[in-house]
Amino acid sequence: MDAVVKKKSIWRNIILFLAILGPGIITGSVDNDVGGITTYSVAGAEYGYNLLWTLIPAFIVLFVTQEMNARMGIVTGKGLADLIRENMGVKVTFFIFIFLLGADILNTMTEFSGVAGSMEIFHVSKYISVPLVAIGVWIMVVKGSYRIAEKIFLFFSLCLLVYIVAALMGHPDWKDIGKSMMKPEVETNFTYISMVIGVIGTTIAPWMQFYMQSAVIEKKLQIKDLKFSVLDVLVGCICTVVVAFFIIIACASTLHTNGTHINDASDAAAALEPLAGVLAAQVFAFGLFIASIFASVILPVATAFYVCEAFGFEAGIDKKWNEAPQFYWLYTAIIIISAGIILIPNVPLIQISLWSQRINGILLPVVLICMIIIVNKKEVMGNYVNKPISNIISWITIVILLALSATLVISLFQ
Amino acid sequence: MIETTTFYFSRVLGRKVISQTGEVIGKLQDILVNVQFQKPQVVAIKIKSGNKSKIVDFNNFKILKVDRQYVFKCYGTCNILEGVMENTLYLKNNVLDRQLVDIDGRKLVRVNDLRLAMLASGTFVLAVDVGFEGLLRRLGVAKPVKLLLDIFKTTLPNKMILWDEVETVDFGHAGIKLSSPFSKLSTLHVSDLADIIEDMDAKMQTDIFASLDEEKAADVLEELETDTQIHVIESMPIEKAADVLEKMPADEVADIFDEMEEEKVEKLLSEMDSEASEDIRELLKYEDNEIGSLMTTDFISFSKNMTVEAAINELRSLKPESDTIYYLYIVDEKDRFIATVSLRDIIISQPETKLSEIMSDKSIYVTDTDNVNSITEIISKYNLLAVPVVDKDKVMRGMIIIDDIVYNLLRSSRRRI
Repeated sequence: MDAVVKKKSIWRNIILFLAILGPGIITGSVDNDVGGITTYSVAGAEYGYNLLWTLIPAFIVLFVTQEMNARMGIVTGKGLADLIRENMGVKVTFFIFIFLLGADILNTMTEFSGVAGSMEIFHVSKYISVPLVAIGVWIMVVKGSYRIAEKIFLFFSLCLLVYIVAALMGHPDWKDIGKSMMKPEVETNFTYISMVIGVIGTTIAPWMQFYMQSAVIEKKLQIKDLKFSVLDVLVGCICTVVVAFFIIIACASTLHTNGTHINDASDAAAALEPLAGVLAAQVFAFGLFIASIFASVILPVATAFYVCEAFGFEAGIDKKWNEAPQFYWLYTAIIIISAGIILIPNVPLIQISLWSQRINGILLPVVLICMIIIVNKKEVMGNYVNKPISNIISWITIVILLALSATLVISLFQ
Repeated sequence: MIETTTFYFSRVLGRKVISQTGEVIGKLQDILVNVQFQKPQVVAIKIKSGNKSKIVDFNNFKILKVDRQYVFKCYGTCNILEGVMENTLYLKNNVLDRQLVDIDGRKLVRVNDLRLAMLASGTFVLAVDVGFEGLLRRLGVAKPVKLLLDIFKTTLPNKMILWDEVETVDFGHAGIKLSSPFSKLSTLHVSDLADIIEDMDAKMQTDIFASLDEEKAADVLEELETDTQIHVIESMPIEKAADVLEKMPADEVADIFDEMEEEKVEKLLSEMDSEASEDIRELLKYEDNEIGSLMTTDFISFSKNMTVEAAINELRSLKPESDTIYYLYIVDEKDRFIATVSLRDIIISQPETKLSEIMSDKSIYVTDTDNVNSITEIISKYNLLAVPVVDKDKVMRGMIIIDDIVYNLLRSSRRRI
C-alpha cells in the first residue's frame, strides 16, 4: 500500500468515525446526570482528592458494558428490552421492568430536583422552573424529532465541559491530585466503602444500557461500523470520567479544604459562592441545570419506550398518539408524577435519591447478567459472541458489582 | 384423567412427560411444529431430564389433564430424533415472545402465548395470543385478575390471531430452513409491507428481502425510507442488489445513491446493465437543487410525423408504467423537444391522423439545471401532472412527475423543522 492511499484511508476513517459518532458520547454525557453530579460533589467535598482513583475502575466497567451494548445493538438490530423479552421470558422481563420503571420515576424526580436546585442559585423559584421545564420537555419529545434532539444533545454534552472551568476557578493543587491518583489512601471504614460504591454505581445506571443500545439502532449502524462504534463508546466513556474528575476536583479544592459538608449538587453550587465566587457557583449551577434537562428529556421517554417494547405495545416518538396510546400515556404519567412530587413543599429529596440508588443497585446486576447470557448466545449474536477475554472482564465486573450492590443495598436498608 | 382438546402453550411448558407405565421421563422444554401445512402440526417435543435434553417423536404421545395439570404421556416407544429437521420451528425458541407479522392488522405483534388443539389427525397450533390476558397468564396471575375484574363486570382485553393470518419473520441466527418462508407477506400491499419492514430489526429486513423476487423487492424498496433502503441494499449480495435496482426508476436509484458511499455506488453501477447505469450516472451528475436531480428518465417520445395508429402500437409494445403513459412528447430527429400530446387526444383521434395535427401548440418545459423551486410554480400555474425536462440544447432529458415534487416538498419541509 503506498503512502497516498494510506493517507486517504486515514481521512476516510476520520470521516466515517464522525458519521458514527453520537450514541456513545450522548450516553456518556447523560451518565453525568443530577444523581451523578451529586455523588461526585459529595465525594469531593467529603474526601477531597482521595476518591479520584475510583474513576479508573468506573471507567473500565462503563466501557466493558457499553461496548457489549453497542455490539448487541449492531449485530441484532434489536433493543435490549426486546432481547431480554425474547431470551429470558416474561417473568424476568416483568421483574426488570417493574424495577426499571420505579427507579426511573425516582431518577426523573432527582433530575427535576436538579432543575429546581440549580435555578434557585439564579433566584428562580422551583414553582416556576420545574413546571416550565416539564412542559418544555414534554413538547420537545412529542412534537420534535430524534435527529434534531440528537444535535441538541451533542451541544448539551459540550456544555458539561463547564465543569472544567468550575474546577479551575477553585485553583486545585495539581501535585496533590497526581499523588492521590497514583497512591490513594484507601480507607476501610464503612462510609468510605459505600462512597466508592456510590461513585462506581452512579456511573453505570441500568437504564443507560437500554439507552445506549437503542441509540445505536436508531443510527442504523452496521457490522462494518463496529470498530468505529467501539471508538465512539470509548470517547463517550472518557467524557463521562473527565467530567466526573473535574466535578470532584471542583468540590475537593474548595469545599473539602474548608470543611464544608453538603447533601446534594445544588448545595455544592450554593456552598461554592462564598469560597470561589459568585461566578464559580453560577457556572456549577449552569452545568447542573444542563445535566438535569438533558436527563429529563431522555429518561422518561426512554423508560416509556422500553416498557412498551418489552410488553409488545406500540411505541416510538414517530407514532401518533392514537397509534401508541400506552406509550404516550406512560410517558406523560412519568413526567407529571416526577415533576408533581418535586413541587410538594418540603419533599424529602435525599430520601428520593437514596431510594433510586437502592433500586438501581438491585437492578444493575440482574440486567448485566441478562446481557452476558444473551451476548454469549450464538443463535442471537452469530459470530459476534463475546470473546473469552471480554467474558472474563464482564464476569469479574458482575461479581464485583454484585458484591458492591449487595453491600450498598444492605447498608441502605439498615 | 381426561384427554384434553385445546390448550395454551404456556400451560404445558415445563410439565411432566411420562412413559406408558407412568414413570417420569423429564419435563417439556419445547415443542417442534412443522409449518409446511396450513396449521403447524406438532411433530416432536423437546424433553429435559436433569441437564440433558432430547428431541422425541410426538407420534405416540397424548396430552392428558391429571389433577388439573397437563401431562404428556407416551404410549409405546418414544423415538429419539437427531439432526436438524427442515420446515420445523421450535415454539418456545422461535415463536414465543418473538415478533411476527399480523397480516390482517398489517403490523408487527409480539407473541404472548399460543393456542393449540388436539384433533384426531394430530395436534396443531390454532392461533397466537398477542393480548394482555396472555401476558398475565404467563405471569401466572390471569385467573385471579379475571376473578377480580368479574366483580366489576369487566373483562380483560384479549386478542387472538388465527395462525393463517400471521407470518413468522424473526429467526435471528438460529439457522432455520423453511421451504417457503414469508409466503404470506406477498398478499400485503407493497406500501403496507414497506411500513412493516421499517419497524423490523435489521436482521429480519435482510432475511425478508433475500426471499422476495426482484420485481417485488424493487417495488418494496421504492417505498422505504432512505436509511432503510441503504441498509437493505448493503445487506444484499451485490449481484442481487444490482438486479433489484435495475427494476427501479432511475431517479429513485439516484436518490438512494446520493446518500451512499461512492465506492459502493461505483461497484453497484458497474454490476448493473449499461442502459440502467447510464441513466443513473446521468442523474447523479446533477446537484441537489437542480431540476435534473428530481426528474425521471423514463418517458415516451414520438416523432411528429408518426400516425396515431403507429403511436398506439408503439405504446402497446412498450407497456409503459401508469406514471409515464399519460404524458407523451413529440421530439425532432435530434431528440429536441417540440410539443406535448395527451393520451386522450391520441385515443379519440382517427388512426391515420398525424401526431403533428393533434399535438398541443403551447409547450411548457423546464431546463435541467434550473432550480427545483421554480418547478412548483409551473406545475400549479398550468395544472400539470408532469413537465418535460430539456437540456441547454433543448434535447429532451426526462420529465418531472408531480409525485416527485410532492416528495421533494415534504422532504424540504421536514428539514426545516
